Amino acid sequence: MSDVLEQTERIESTMLDSPWVTIVWNDPVNLMNYVSWVFRSYFGFSRAEANVRMLQVHHDGRAVVATGSREEMERHVEAMHDFGLWATLARAGE
Amino acid sequence: MRAFRRSRHQFVAVFNPDEAGTLSILASQVIALLEDRGSHDSDPALLRLLPDAYSDDAEASAEFRRFTADDLASRKAANGRRIVADLATAAGSTSATAVKVDAQAAEAWVRSLTDIRLTIAARLGIEADDDLGSEDPAMRDLYDWLGFVQGSLVDCMDR
Repeated sequence: MSDVLEQTERIESTMLDSPWVTIVWNDPVNLMNYVSWVFRSYFGFSRAEANVRMLQVHHDGRAVVATGSREEMERHVEAMHDFGLWATLARAGE
Repeated sequence: MRAFRRSRHQFVAVFNPDEAGTLSILASQVIALLEDRGSHDSDPALLRLLPDAYSDDAEASAEFRRFTADDLASRKAANGRRIVADLATAAGSTSATAVKVDAQAAEAWVRSLTDIRLTIAARLGIEADDDLGSEDPAMRDLYDWLGFVQGSLVDCMDR
């Protein structure tokens, strides 16, 4: 019985721990080569990947650049603010 | 002004004394803005330098700011001081002077140049890609020049 309870609690905590995302928003100030460089140097994206995400920010107004726990996403958002990029975090799918 | 170029492990640009002086003053102004900051709501530039971390949750944004804003502001101020220190000789000179920036300093430079441009853009009301901020042509020219300086440095670092 206690095993079942434990298992249920574990499943519930996994479901509650739904992933969060880091979103970078378009702004008229940041240079395209700078945004691409930030994505490469901080997230370790390849040049091609960084350019795709940078262009997504530019054309779609925003791009998801990371997924994970809330704490992890808060660290990424703080790092993006260090670079002067406009970033927020949100629950995945919102 | 001669834009940044890579020279072995350094990046080198040539600044006229007035250019170096102007950039140094702008960096100092952003440092002062960050260090003497009051309420975030009252200043669009501060709100952009230390933005909300949650787009639809004011309480969570306030909480995030409580834990991160002081450290973020001091790191940004330290980046600005790097620019001021690196430009001191060029700003005090009577002729154009080469300014050499190593890889570590360049990380501070590009971040601080971003903060300076964000601050000017907030003052000029540049909020969308096609905003020109044309009410203040001199400030707009300065803003574009800073973009040129930063762009050339990023190009050097990005190789």
